[in-house]
Amino acid sequence: MSTTAPTGAPGPEAAARPARTAGARPAGYGLIRRGRGSFLLHRRSASAVLGLLVALALICVAYLSVGDSFVSPGRVVAVVFGGGTGADQLIVGTLREPRLVLGLLVGPAFGISGALVQTVARNPLASPDIIGISQGAGVVTVGALTFGVTSYTLLPYLSILGGLTAAALVYVFAWRGGLHATRFVLIGIGFSIALKSVITLLMTKGDVLVAQQAQVWMTGSLNGRGYDEAAPMAIALAVLTPAVLWAAYAQRTVSMDDDTATALGIRLNRVRLGLVLIGVVLASVATGAAGPVDFVALMAPQIARRMTGTAQIPLLTSALTGAVVVVLGDLLAKTLFSPTELPVGVLTAAVGAPYLIWLLIRRSGAGARAAGGK
Amino acid sequence: MVDGVAGPDDRGEAAGADGAARSPGAAAAGASRLAARELTLAYDDRTVVRDLHLAIPDGRITVIVGPNACGKSTTLRALGRLLKPRSGTVLLDGEELAGVPTRRIAQSIGLLPQSPTAPEAITVADLVSRGRQPHQRWWQQWSEEDERAVTAAMERTDVTELADRSVDELSGGQRQRVWIAMALAQETDLLLLDEPTTFLDIAHQVEVLDLVRRLNHERGRTVVIVLHDLNQAARYADHLVAMKEGAVVAEGRPGDVVTADLVREVFGLEAVVIPDPVTGSPLVVPGSPYAPPATGAAGDASVPGDTTGTADTTGPAGTADTTGSRTASR
Repeated sequence: MSTTAPTGAPGPEAAARPARTAGARPAGYGLIRRGRGSFLLHRRSASAVLGLLVALALICVAYLSVGDSFVSPGRVVAVVFGGGTGADQLIVGTLREPRLVLGLLVGPAFGISGALVQTVARNPLASPDIIGISQGAGVVTVGALTFGVTSYTLLPYLSILGGLTAAALVYVFAWRGGLHATRFVLIGIGFSIALKSVITLLMTKGDVLVAQQAQVWMTGSLNGRGYDEAAPMAIALAVLTPAVLWAAYAQRTVSMDDDTATALGIRLNRVRLGLVLIGVVLASVATGAAGPVDFVALMAPQIARRMTGTAQIPLLTSALTGAVVVVLGDLLAKTLFSPTELPVGVLTAAVGAPYLIWLLIRRSGAGARAAGGK
Repeated sequence: MVDGVAGPDDRGEAAGADGAARSPGAAAAGASRLAARELTLAYDDRTVVRDLHLAIPDGRITVIVGPNACGKSTTLRALGRLLKPRSGTVLLDGEELAGVPTRRIAQSIGLLPQSPTAPEAITVADLVSRGRQPHQRWWQQWSEEDERAVTAAMERTDVTELADRSVDELSGGQRQRVWIAMALAQETDLLLLDEPTTFLDIAHQVEVLDLVRRLNHERGRTVVIVLHDLNQAARYADHLVAMKEGAVVAEGRPGDVVTADLVREVFGLEAVVIPDPVTGSPLVVPGSPYAPPATGAAGDASVPGDTTGTADTTGPAGTADTTGSRTASR
């Protein structure tokens, strides 16, 4: 011990220390170079994405095969690639495919939305259906139905408007010289309860037929929906793709505490606002298309994170997890109690509610210190 | 760490070598890239700091000390643009900090907050690499330069072996070194540290402060540290700033600034200031602790003598007597 060099003296011995051959790049990341660009790629996330894609493809084939009449996977694939018999084309292409496509759009939208909102709130409890965004979309949609708006091209846009308004209100009320993560979630929960009661009020006051229609919408269902609803969803996703790519990078930067993030040169409030905005638009569009498919946005990001083991919520993995949850959920909802069809929202809620309770129990214990906020 | 437990003899030599190496640097004093002018800081309607003037000497270690809630951390936060001044300005290279893009500030000033939190389950190398943020773009997420800076920062702080470990599972001292590594990877000329030794045991406190001093010494980085331990401040500071109730009470070389009068004025504590037996910097020894009233004056005097036991007894004993009488006269 006495031979140790004094700490205060500058030492050439530091250079003699064996260098880490792998380099200091964070473990588990690969590097992609393209010209002047360089991108970090998390290897386990990449394999998770590949795995999810394979699983999703299989689920999709199963989805198109199973139903009132079974169509063999081989024939399903033929139809998807533009062939098949007339009957198969009707069953698979016309009846089942549009609904599947909607599911494939709604799932990722909820998955990404949940990931972004949870990142900003630094809280796995935060998701658009918990903090009032889905309810905001719901109020406007049910309101529109009650007042006789039946145009399915208009409804999704009204829904986005509702979701954005609700999110703006929550954001403003949670703002006090900066966004306080915990307050954001709590105020969101308050708003979601208030908005839910407005929906109930609208449904009781409204026409019975409309109320029933609204009721089905409120549980979240892909039943009887297809390309009409999928179109605005597809447009929204296409328009938001660059934004989502940006978000995937920006997300990494806001996962630190406020002071550290600011010290690292991040314009925290702007980045957060951007992330929330993307999340809210996606959740609202998806809610407009399929109703609030409960708990998908809550569960998908956390499942995805456990798959990749990354410090932040992986966006693409979360999107694909959302797709798997929604499509698989709808497949089960269709077939489990056949011929009775359940709305997919009932199924996701059946899985999601226990998960939420587990999350609450776990967080109120040892996990509470990680709750974030100041 | 092995470094942390080096014997007192080693330390004495180190301090000697340090002092010799330091004197040429002292000639270059005077320049100041970071300064505060008429700074008033407030949280909501509670004013914490009023009309503060401060110039941080380049290439030196400046330590800000003061009692709890004196505004020292608040001042540091303002120097690092984490807190917007109510009035007055912070100047970086003559430019008003409020007008400089936060990313550009991050290329000049590194800051480690008091209790930074990392995302759950983040690895050490991943956390340290976040320090490269201000030098990256979304299309340039990793460069040779990043690689070199992160490797160097981890080596310097001795966390290379921990690279793949999760930050959650580290000890307090290790974790603090990892955070410092992150701030180092940022490769800024100025480094602000807010109570970097809080929650650490004494060995780890010394380890962290020695590390900071080595960084300052080897790279000529300007360091500002907020500390609440006056003795540590006196030991490690080139420039000491004592604050009380949101104002600077005294600043300068620790040897000139730290006196019994200052300790009384700033901390409201009766104390004896003696030369540190190891470094020669001022050492503050608090006056008589509570003792049962029955015993005589001899008992009182023996207590401060005990605290400094191993050092040469003539100096402290003499001063202790005066404190004893001063306390008695109040």
